[in-house]
Amino acid sequence: MAATRSFSSPCKSPSGFAHLLKYPTLPSSSSSSTSLPLPKPSAVNALKKKTNNHQVRSEIRSYDNHHQNWTIEADPLRFIPTSSLASPSSVPMATSSSALESSVKNAKKVCLFYCAETKALAEGIAAHSDAIELRTITWRKFDDGFPNIFIPNAQGIRGQHVAFLASFNSPAVIFEQLSVIYALPKLFISSFTLVLPFFPTGTSERMEDEGDVATAFTLARALSNIPIPRGGPTSLVTFDIHALQERFYFGDNILPCFESGIPLLKNRLQQLPDSDNVSIAFPDDGAWKRFHKQLHHFPMIVCAKVREGDQRIVRIKEGDPSGRHVVIVDDLVQSGHPENGLSYFWITDSCPSTVQAVKHKAPFEVLSLAASIAATLQI
Amino acid sequence: MDKSQNKKHVVLFYCAECEDLARKVASQSDLITLQTIKWRNFDDGFPNIFINNAQDLRGQHVAFLASFSSQGVIFEQLSVIYALPRLFVASFTVVLPFFPTGSFERMEEEGDVATAFTMARMLSNIPISRGGPTSLVIYDIHALQERFYFGDHVLPLFETGIPLLKQRLHQLPDSDKIVVAFPDDGAWKRFHKQLDHFPAVVCNKVREGNKRIVRLKEGNPAGCHVVIVDDLVQSGGTLIECQDLSILKKVLAANGASKVSAYVTHGVFPMQSWERFTHKDEVSEKAFTYFWITDSCPLTAKAIANRAPFEVLSLAGSIAESLQT
Repeated sequence: MAATRSFSSPCKSPSGFAHLLKYPTLPSSSSSSTSLPLPKPSAVNALKKKTNNHQVRSEIRSYDNHHQNWTIEADPLRFIPTSSLASPSSVPMATSSSALESSVKNAKKVCLFYCAETKALAEGIAAHSDAIELRTITWRKFDDGFPNIFIPNAQGIRGQHVAFLASFNSPAVIFEQLSVIYALPKLFISSFTLVLPFFPTGTSERMEDEGDVATAFTLARALSNIPIPRGGPTSLVTFDIHALQERFYFGDNILPCFESGIPLLKNRLQQLPDSDNVSIAFPDDGAWKRFHKQLHHFPMIVCAKVREGDQRIVRIKEGDPSGRHVVIVDDLVQSGHPENGLSYFWITDSCPSTVQAVKHKAPFEVLSLAASIAATLQI
Repeated sequence: MDKSQNKKHVVLFYCAECEDLARKVASQSDLITLQTIKWRNFDDGFPNIFINNAQDLRGQHVAFLASFSSQGVIFEQLSVIYALPRLFVASFTVVLPFFPTGSFERMEEEGDVATAFTMARMLSNIPISRGGPTSLVIYDIHALQERFYFGDHVLPLFETGIPLLKQRLHQLPDSDKIVVAFPDDGAWKRFHKQLDHFPAVVCNKVREGNKRIVRLKEGNPAGCHVVIVDDLVQSGGTLIECQDLSILKKVLAANGASKVSAYVTHGVFPMQSWERFTHKDEVSEKAFTYFWITDSCPLTAKAIANRAPFEVLSLAGSIAESLQT
């Protein structure tokens, strides 16, 4: 189910909704009321530059200064210095980050190729490890618009572990990147990893009516068809895929490696002055299912979208936000414009074109996946 | 030629750019019915597609008329191509009149990325349907070796536009004075057998220093209406090739040709380069008498239609027949 929540302020969304999460603001307050209007009913309402992993912190203060009791569990996470981005977390798959922190002795050398959109992220990844070396590709086009691609020094990657950092931010760039993805494994490399931080079409993953075309299946098919290099099936690294069932859309010639940006959020939350007053809110059950285990030591609020006649309303299903700093967590937002008055709007750099657009523009903060990807390349 | 066996009713879907061609195909035969698809986009640019009346496709022979005129339209058509065979259809055929990337089909150096291979791979991955592997109909593919780029889940059906040309040539008043010219050995290899009852001229591209020169290798065009034949104008992907065509015309005229015409199956004219053939800008030489293309590239066919010297020969009849295979 798409997390189609619109954060536009009420006057921008004429279709019916109601705010049920509105909190009183007193004149002296610097916080604004947070309304959570509901998305337009159709799933078509998607942000042109999609943000991934948006976590919104809204200031919700009531003025009786009542703080909910906060049980501090003895969770190793809470006591790790927040300056280290590569901190181990309760998430099992990040164990390989310890290899990153130790010297390069066990590290495997990886040749990392990338596309134009992912250049900045690729540079960030290579900066995290001496074992990762950036490689270039000559991307040109013929006059008819079709790609004219050349991989320089192709013989130099024989016997090497190779990775490609892809970004399918629009259908038009898929074919050229796919050409490289299909070509690299056949160059006698010793293994191939495809890092696709954001898996687009992820919300279009089911047929509700006969005739629906689930484009997530098209993309999974195209990726499952990557030729097998030496070293076995290609590893496919993607972050917070929209639906966990999509793991099984892939064929046997590819090994999906599902990672998450949540550890980055946890680190960031720990750095907040009021980190002990944070509650996590999930916009719907789908988000709760996907993320609650990674965030279980925070108090939680779960919402539900409910229909009343033509209106779609957000209701709180469980949990109590009073007096808390609520952080809304989801894999993506597909909406119009974010609400004014959000204190923080965290996204990762899985969608590079969005990062370019929102860089240094409050309330956005970009949490980089570079370290996490660098660690995953060691798997 | 009507084949009385194998008459099957076919439901034909099509992409937006192929609508005109699809209508022409359906008008060729009562056995072909058009069906529509809802093509929409989400705000992020990714497709939001719905196949109308999907349940009615069960047990039917289904076909899809595709056109990959640019990279941006591939993904949405591929989504439909991957979805249709799984709707319990009796058989599935993809008609892709023009196979793009076809001229980029080899690695001369380690590191070349042969995009024809990418395209063939994507098409080979079409799910099989109850009718078995998908039939893939392509006209005048650039290199015959490409037949073997496809995996076993598709059955390439290579067709050609040459019969349309032959028909057209026989209609000309000077049809007995026609000589066919092949711009290079590659074109001769691919087409001479279908045109062997016309006298032939074969040319060569030769380098002298920085210059590229066209020479006549065999044959004599003197006094004849020479028709240059090839699959497409730009085989190297550059505008140079269009100049080659003009140079070729000059060489043939210099060797005595009374008229020069051209035929290419695929009207691939990047950046509107077909315009240079509509202007009579060559002062001393005449322009092409005729310039025939098929409607394999629907966007060009639409732009060029009825602009002398261009004439569009439609593949509709040929496609309608191939759907009966």
